[in-house]
Amino acid sequence: MRSSGDLFEAIEYLKREGPTLLSRFVKAHRDAEYADLRFEVVMNRSASATNGEPRDANESSMAAYCITVHARASSEVSGHGQTGAEVGALAGTPAKLVAALKRGLDQAYQRARFSAREKAAMMKAAGRGLESLALRAALPGAPVHDEIAAEYKHDPRALDTDQLKRLALEGSRAVSGLGKDIAFNVAAAMTELRHELLVSSIGSVISQATAFSQGDCYVVAQNADGHQESYDTIGQQRGFESIAEGWRGELMPNADLVTFCKELASEAQQLAAASLLKPPEGEVVVVTDPHFNALVAHEIVGHPSEADRALKMEAGYAGRSWFLKSLAENQLGHRVGSELLSACSDPTLDGYGHYRYDHEGTPGRRVMHFDRGIFSGFLNSRDTAAALGAEPNGHARASEGWHVPLIRMSNTFFLPGETPPEKIIGEVDRGFYVCAHQIPSIAESRENFRISARRVYEIENGRIGRLFRSGSVIADSRSFFMNVDAVGDDLRLVAIPNCGKGQPMQVKRMSNGGPTLRSRARLGGG
Amino acid sequence: MMLKAAELKRFVQEAARLIAKDETIGEFEIYCSSGEHRIARLNFTSDIPCRGLEEFKSLEADGFQIRIAMTRDAHEVGSTSEAGEFTLNAIRTSLERAKRATVIDPHFSGFATEPKKLKAAVREKSDLARLSDAAIANAAWNVVRGATEALGKFGAPTAGHAGLVIGGDLSVIRDRVAITTSHFDDIRVDEGAHFSSSVTALIESRDAKGTASALGSSAAHMRSAAMSLGREAVQRALKLGHGVRPSSGPYRVVLGPQPVAEIINYMVMGSLTTGAFHAASSAYQGRFGDDVMHASLSLFDDPNHKAGAVRRSITCEGLAARRADLIRDGKLIGLLSTIYDSHRLETDEERAEKLGAKAGDKVKFPPFNGYRLGEGGGRRFDAHPASAGSNVVMRTRGGIAENALLGQLGDGIYIGRVWYTYPINGQRAGDFTCTVSGDSYLIRGGKIAEPVAPNSLRVNANIAEVFAKPLAVGARSIAAIVWGSPEGYYVPPIALGSINLSAVGANP
Repeated sequence: MRSSGDLFEAIEYLKREGPTLLSRFVKAHRDAEYADLRFEVVMNRSASATNGEPRDANESSMAAYCITVHARASSEVSGHGQTGAEVGALAGTPAKLVAALKRGLDQAYQRARFSAREKAAMMKAAGRGLESLALRAALPGAPVHDEIAAEYKHDPRALDTDQLKRLALEGSRAVSGLGKDIAFNVAAAMTELRHELLVSSIGSVISQATAFSQGDCYVVAQNADGHQESYDTIGQQRGFESIAEGWRGELMPNADLVTFCKELASEAQQLAAASLLKPPEGEVVVVTDPHFNALVAHEIVGHPSEADRALKMEAGYAGRSWFLKSLAENQLGHRVGSELLSACSDPTLDGYGHYRYDHEGTPGRRVMHFDRGIFSGFLNSRDTAAALGAEPNGHARASEGWHVPLIRMSNTFFLPGETPPEKIIGEVDRGFYVCAHQIPSIAESRENFRISARRVYEIENGRIGRLFRSGSVIADSRSFFMNVDAVGDDLRLVAIPNCGKGQPMQVKRMSNGGPTLRSRARLGGG
Repeated sequence: MMLKAAELKRFVQEAARLIAKDETIGEFEIYCSSGEHRIARLNFTSDIPCRGLEEFKSLEADGFQIRIAMTRDAHEVGSTSEAGEFTLNAIRTSLERAKRATVIDPHFSGFATEPKKLKAAVREKSDLARLSDAAIANAAWNVVRGATEALGKFGAPTAGHAGLVIGGDLSVIRDRVAITTSHFDDIRVDEGAHFSSSVTALIESRDAKGTASALGSSAAHMRSAAMSLGREAVQRALKLGHGVRPSSGPYRVVLGPQPVAEIINYMVMGSLTTGAFHAASSAYQGRFGDDVMHASLSLFDDPNHKAGAVRRSITCEGLAARRADLIRDGKLIGLLSTIYDSHRLETDEERAEKLGAKAGDKVKFPPFNGYRLGEGGGRRFDAHPASAGSNVVMRTRGGIAENALLGQLGDGIYIGRVWYTYPINGQRAGDFTCTVSGDSYLIRGGKIAEPVAPNSLRVNANIAEVFAKPLAVGARSIAAIVWGSPEGYYVPPIALGSINLSAVGANP
């Protein structure tokens, strides 16, 4: 019987044979410039429980590849083509795997040629005016070899799925046990080992393995006063131990799954009984906590700092960026926030968005977005770095083995200040304390937002008062950041399990966060 | 290379024979799919180096899923999926894995049983199945060509600093499935193919944005759409340049088909499922049988809709795919459902409270909507059945022509496109917010007047304000695409007496 481990052996096989396969292909095709292959094997186990009863369990293994080929139509015009496929168990047989990869290479190469030829014909027919189409791929120069191991105490491949079943069930039962006003709940637990390999026609071999473990809870509480739907996630790049026992990491600690579920559900009960926020007219002082600021960092700093958005490549889908109107007119070097405010993306830190190399083989490194309020940099890929005249900084990432890399956040957050959060709240005569993000809605270039919070409290004379539900913060982005007048010393990251981008949608894991912030904004209610 | 329907059918037959011999298994289902999603993303920027066609790519996935219930306990259920290998050995391995993953779910009611044999559906095969990569590349470049030519033709130079941006994609989605359960006498197969194309044209020097889209099931439709979409999007953008930025306040508005489709997709469809009622999270909680929309509005999902692009003859649970009437003349009369979710709601101890007094004890929820869908909307072997639509159609009674709709409005705003529509306070609350992102105008004296600048207004409303008291409704249901949604939408424009809009500050 074939074990799931066999699929991981395909990684070892392709480490040896992959570079030769690709370099031979490129040499054999006169107009081919470069090819790379991403191959990924995932072993995943999960379980869920609903209303204190078992609902589902699953163990699966997956193998997939994505091939990119660049081809020339002339000395000025090139195109690229891609093929992605989930090959699964087929990867366990080298001959079948190689045959599939050769088909994929041919397909990607033909697409690159079709695209390059059509482009060349169009540019020729137009004469002038389409010079912008001459973007040449910024291909990697020197091969990279590296091997990164996953970190875990419990190997996801060896774990008994029953342990996940028990944990999810215990979490759901704990929530159901809180009382009749819990109308519905789901607790879910997952652990997986993900092994990514990048090989290229210039001889790169980068092998990165990562363990992910995640716990999720969804709860609906209702009583005579109202109802509240809440959900949240804990996650670490570690083994099952991080959700079964909790995790004490400095930046992104989490409780064990059962405690986490109970706390979320207790909060939902309180919120169902709380009043709807009736927002005051005009702007008010808002103090936002690290969990809420995770979504602000994600939507208003991270996404518009993605160079593909900024360069209009996402204009038909996820929109553009308020940091870049054009190459000549943009916010690079300009003030976009108060001098207390700094923000960055840093894949080298521990977090749900940690990695060493992106999916183009570029080492991931810290990118400052706001340096004391001054906009200072975009996340990029090789191509977008070339278009912006910058160095690649390692943020091209795909969510699954069969997808193409897009520019994605890693660990993206506001940097901490020096003020304790109690002092930030204590200085407010009248305002609102906004805690825990819920749902975002963002203007097309992220220049304006409405983000709802799970909890909103009144602040009166420096003290936290009544709790409200269904509150949200509405602001123009620059105005909100310029008005930041206090930054806490309590930096925390939050696991974000489901950032969607691309066509078709790729759903990616990452971390976002920040310390407590104080600013001014309008509030929305229910 | 997709697997043929006959190959899938043969594999399901072999798998069923093998699993039926295992006496520890009381009941089983085998689902098998082969899918392909080819995408040509458009990315032309006149002032920024670009490729014109970005990510010309395909995603392929073939595999099978086995679900079992054990003989020793009919509620002990497990499932597993396997990609890429269609062999008896793979079935044996998967079976062991499914047994390891069993849980005792007291609400499991069994796999599909009826009918034992399904009358074979006569389905016209789409010629999109034979479309080559070259044809897709050619069509995608025709969109870009049409856009750049239109910009020149209408007096705006492509060179210099026009700031022309063409984004979007042309996608072809194909899938084939085969399924049987231990209760069927036959293997059921289905296949589908459709294309969708959504094109956004921005002329940044004029702060203008226009869009165009197409959805269909034939190669000829795709080719003709490709010839016109780029041009249409640019023409619309040219008409929308240098728009006004209205101030905050309540406005009379006409919502065009895209905003109506987006609001239905993100705010209504999720609430019209048995799962949402069971989870106490529907915006219509306790209101089954009540008037939840205006009496002029009806909403249904129809996988056999003649004008629909997303055609299906069986569900991913093996049942005949049928029209599901959801709202008729404003009254909530049906829900999308899977086999599990129908049983769960019908046997829910709190069913009366969750559905409401008008539902009665006898109402049933036929499970005609259990689909296993992947990221692009195609069917996937490793997804679990979930309630989903196919062609979602809103029909109106007493609808009027679009010009007459504007006339009824008098003064206000025509909103042609919204973006990022989300249930800001959770699905059940029905509150939503989104921004007006293009294709929008002031209406003065019942006529289209100045364009509204894209991204200058935010909508803050509740679904009841949109669907319960419209000022007037359009007569025609028009195709609309919602990004990320597996459904095709066919919806009318709707005029509203008052809706709150808040001004968005201009980009710094």
